[in-house]
Amino acid sequence: MERIILDVDGAGDDILAILFALGAPGVKLEGVTAVTGAAGSVEQVTRVVLNTLTLAGRDDVPVAAGAWRPIVGNDPRDMEAPVHFEKRLRARFGDRLTGFNPPAPEPIRQAMDRHAVDFIIDTIRTSPGEISVVATGPQTNVALALRQAPDIAMLVKQFVVLGGCFHTPGNITPVSEYNIWADPEAARVVLRSGAPVILVPLDICEDNRVAPSMLTRDDLADFAAGPRGPVVDHVIDTFPIYIDIWREFFELVGFPLDDAIALTTVIRPDLFTMTKPHFVDVALSERLVRGQTVVHRGRQILDFKGPVTTRVCEDLDGRGFMALFKAALRAVDKGRPQ
Amino acid sequence: MKPVPVLLDCDPGHDDAIALVMAHRSPAIDLLGVSIVCGNATLDRTTDNALRILEFIGAKDVRVAAGCLSPLARELVLGTADGPSGLEGSPYLPKPKTRLDPLHAVEFLAHHLRAAAEPVTLVATGPLTNIGFLLLKYPSLKSKIARIVLMGGAMYRRTEYITPTEFNIFCDPEAARIVINSGLDVTMVGLDVTMHVIVEEPQFAQLRKIDTPLGRVVLDWLKFYEKLHRGQMGVGGALHDPLALAAVIDPTLITTRDAHVAVDLTGTFTFGATVADFWNERQLGTNVHVASSVDSERFFNMLYALLRD
Repeated sequence: MERIILDVDGAGDDILAILFALGAPGVKLEGVTAVTGAAGSVEQVTRVVLNTLTLAGRDDVPVAAGAWRPIVGNDPRDMEAPVHFEKRLRARFGDRLTGFNPPAPEPIRQAMDRHAVDFIIDTIRTSPGEISVVATGPQTNVALALRQAPDIAMLVKQFVVLGGCFHTPGNITPVSEYNIWADPEAARVVLRSGAPVILVPLDICEDNRVAPSMLTRDDLADFAAGPRGPVVDHVIDTFPIYIDIWREFFELVGFPLDDAIALTTVIRPDLFTMTKPHFVDVALSERLVRGQTVVHRGRQILDFKGPVTTRVCEDLDGRGFMALFKAALRAVDKGRPQ
Repeated sequence: MKPVPVLLDCDPGHDDAIALVMAHRSPAIDLLGVSIVCGNATLDRTTDNALRILEFIGAKDVRVAAGCLSPLARELVLGTADGPSGLEGSPYLPKPKTRLDPLHAVEFLAHHLRAAAEPVTLVATGPLTNIGFLLLKYPSLKSKIARIVLMGGAMYRRTEYITPTEFNIFCDPEAARIVINSGLDVTMVGLDVTMHVIVEEPQFAQLRKIDTPLGRVVLDWLKFYEKLHRGQMGVGGALHDPLALAAVIDPTLITTRDAHVAVDLTGTFTFGATVADFWNERQLGTNVHVASSVDSERFFNMLYALLRD
């Protein structure tokens, strides 16, 4: 059993990652923590998490709200860019966009009365060597946990960081991926902590090289043809618009499941090609390259020193992942209390 | 007058040590607790120093909590004004017996803010890591903070280093930016004023007259501190941190100008610089009261009186 804390920023694919974690074989979901990121304020993200767990009939899973802002962040005009992008989407998709990152309704329960950072620290300290933290948004919560309790770097099983890009162009600057860009100082704290890290970059999530891992209308048809339940129904209802946006605006064959892919590195590392551990760093200055991830593979003339602890995912068995994903979502419905 | 409730975040440090003594002895201050950060020395040493000082002055009831081991987003660069232990002037002070509060300083500050009946004044005399962390973690507790008075920054002229930076801000500029942009009432007591409260021979002469155990320790601290300062910069010891604390006891010791202060994070030679816009050229309003002048004589009289009483 892999014991996992999922740290999310509550966008569409995070919802799928939570559902996936609940149904995937070999996962014990210790808790879900929320961070400010792509889907807005930490309050909104927390509501999305609580509602998703309720949908799955899993109100027993602890939820903790975390950081409300990045350590440094970026120019406010740049931070608002995704909002303007949403206006372009509305111009193209009209009312169909209503189902895309909708304001979350009031959940039926509350998050715990504890900060996500403390939940992460205490969970890791209580079970040394057991806990994997899969962080699929900006790394703010994980970085603050490491700053408050540096000892957890030696106690955590691993940190999985969803972010960065190498061969695939960035999605916020030409060389930077959103999660890292949104809090590059935090990402740097995690990558330099000395803890084992698995980095899941855009290259194996949002690139047509890994097309079989993306959610398409064919997959929704498969879901529709199989056993139904609230979770499968929710996916069938909610995700066509996501698929269309990513097809039209990002020229991907379907909706990329980045967050679920990140979680899969813990339970099925055999589905990935990963590098040996390297020192991975993040560029902090200059708007053009802020948030760029850099792997030190060696053989350079200048010396850059840092912990050689991060394995970078370079390829993914997309079909294997998609089969696992579909089975997991159906399993959530099957295991749901009637 | 009712004493001002204060939480003191510091990195002792000789001048922090004097600020601690003043905070404990002044009837104008209700010292709710002391949180410790790294800066002048590593966290274990600054923590040890705080406990030794408080035990020596008989303030065992003042709770102390240790905080961050390193700045929010950088490696720690130690200060150079206080020697390796951070308190080289009094190696004879015994090892502390008092127990440290088990809470992390960020939780300790949060706990005391929640418990406080009225908003609390935060006085920060070290890098702003703990305070920045507190504001990142618990933004809702801003309503329990009356104001922040911090020793930090340099606005006008070349002072301490070859770069226009002051150590506390230089050490953790990311945290400093969080604090001064928090929307709270922030007063920066920077080098512009603290370099005018200098201990030199006339001040030593007054201090020698305070022939008490406390007076003698303070004199030892300042003798070490003055010598190091003079060696590094050619002037006597500037009482940076005590001035920030004194400005809470008596706000009329300093005058301030409102400005928008930005903290540079990336300049090759200027990261950590505090760049003040007094004319609203950035059109960002004001975020800081910048201390711009000080009545040094009244400050020293306050210090002598607090040590004598």
